[in-house]
Amino acid sequence: MKINEPQGSILFQKKPWSNNPNPIWLASTVTLLRNIEKFKFPGKLDDDRKKQIVSLVSKDLLADGATAVGGLTKPSLIKGESIGALEKEYLVEHFMSSHNYNEAGAGEGFILDESGEFLATLNMNDHVHLQLLDIKGELENTWSRLVKIETALGKKLNYSYLPKFGFLTADPTQCGTALLVTVYLQVSGLVHMGIVDDILEKIADESFYISGIQGNPNEIIGDILMIQNNYTLGLTEENIISSMRSLTTKLIVEETSTRNQVKKDNSADMKDKVSRAYGILTHSYQIESVEALNALSLLKLGAEAGWISGIGNRELNELTFNCRRAHLLHECTEKISQEEIPHKRAEKIHKALKEVKLLT
Amino acid sequence: MIDQFENNGDGENKLPDRPLECSECKKGIAVCYTEIVGDVITRVSMCADCPELQRRLHGAHIHHAGASHEETATGVACGNCGTTLESLRVGIPLGCSVCYEVFDDILIDELLSSEKIPERLAKGKKTSPIHIGRAPGESQEMNPSLRLLALNEALNETLKKEDYEQAALLRDQIKALTENKESSQGKPHENK
Repeated sequence: MKINEPQGSILFQKKPWSNNPNPIWLASTVTLLRNIEKFKFPGKLDDDRKKQIVSLVSKDLLADGATAVGGLTKPSLIKGESIGALEKEYLVEHFMSSHNYNEAGAGEGFILDESGEFLATLNMNDHVHLQLLDIKGELENTWSRLVKIETALGKKLNYSYLPKFGFLTADPTQCGTALLVTVYLQVSGLVHMGIVDDILEKIADESFYISGIQGNPNEIIGDILMIQNNYTLGLTEENIISSMRSLTTKLIVEETSTRNQVKKDNSADMKDKVSRAYGILTHSYQIESVEALNALSLLKLGAEAGWISGIGNRELNELTFNCRRAHLLHECTEKISQEEIPHKRAEKIHKALKEVKLLT
Repeated sequence: MIDQFENNGDGENKLPDRPLECSECKKGIAVCYTEIVGDVITRVSMCADCPELQRRLHGAHIHHAGASHEETATGVACGNCGTTLESLRVGIPLGCSVCYEVFDDILIDELLSSEKIPERLAKGKKTSPIHIGRAPGESQEMNPSLRLLALNEALNETLKKEDYEQAALLRDQIKALTENKESSQGKPHENK
């Protein structure tokens, strides 16, 4: 298996999340779903019509006007059929997407820009999903930037809209504002102190959907919570964003004080967990990504408690993103088989943790 | 016979390729259904309100749980794209914007039963617009004070808990934000 680098490799140019010093807030995405008036939704469109949508949207998004308004830098179109399954997986990982881009073929497409933060998917569920990735915790600004892109595009195309239902989407549970805000928080402290469920029950209500990064609410991987707004209809975009801001601020406060508590308690049990995680990461011959993400989260907890030296949040966050399959493969220069991946991952982690020491 | 779905046993080290969905339709899994007939054990995962589940539990003829208007509406389909009410019920995406006008109130009922719109809307009149916010062509910028409100709320809570270290951190964020706001004032506000 090897990743190809087509299209001047705009896919691999920038990794916005690779320099993130934030201990808890790993990433967030803001997405607007839009369909174009008079066209049926992608599920009912034939390939010719889909291609028409691709050329319509890309013509407008790639035009100079939109570039200036939306702040996009040199956007370019990648057609679904022009990249392979691994490149699509890379996109999924890069944008923390819960969609599977694997089925994207001749009638689908992606528009990316040089920043590595913007993604438009074409004909996947809806005609256009406009998305911005952010790692600085700037939900409000990210949304404003996205709205600029959306209105710039909206000047050239008419979006499907009804006053009653707002912007219309193929999935009726997403109509209205058709705005999805997703925040990824790593709550290592809450998970390992066993209080994450209590805290969530206390501060999160039914207007949020909380799950693990694979979209399964019963499996939290790497202690990372994926928090998304549950409602898109019946409230304004500002409401959605400010309630997300409020929830995440509270969660971050809880997580920070729990991490401080972990440090203060200095408990043997927690130290044992961290040491074992360190052992797994530094001594495994092969390691699957779920196990790696879980152990890396514990390492972060240990580093903050001062039980581990030689690594900081920046490096741990980067490793968290880079040890996933497609990113791992992208770094490999030679072709490797599926079976070799866990070993490659272990090797990569060993190298990254070379300077890390367990303090007693 | 029905267990709340907890974990997909084999999922420990392998990432599933796509989010888990009901074996009969496209909704999320809520129920693990095990059927034992003689020596044969069949196990399927389904969503909570799957018509197939209702059929298996209560027999073939009661597959729509009550509600007479549902039965009369069963034959409804969108004239523009052919999407049927049945397919809508099992979570298959809508086919076009006309579907919204065809299914109208049924859609709202569906959204209510899957808890996808805020509860307060359930009480309102169905004919009034339920969408609030921007229409096409309107652009808007976030009022920076909304973020301040959230931070202040969190600050008050930490003060109540007498967690002064956290409170100081939050206060720093608030300070940084207010300073930013002052320096960026005077920018044109894009609002049509």
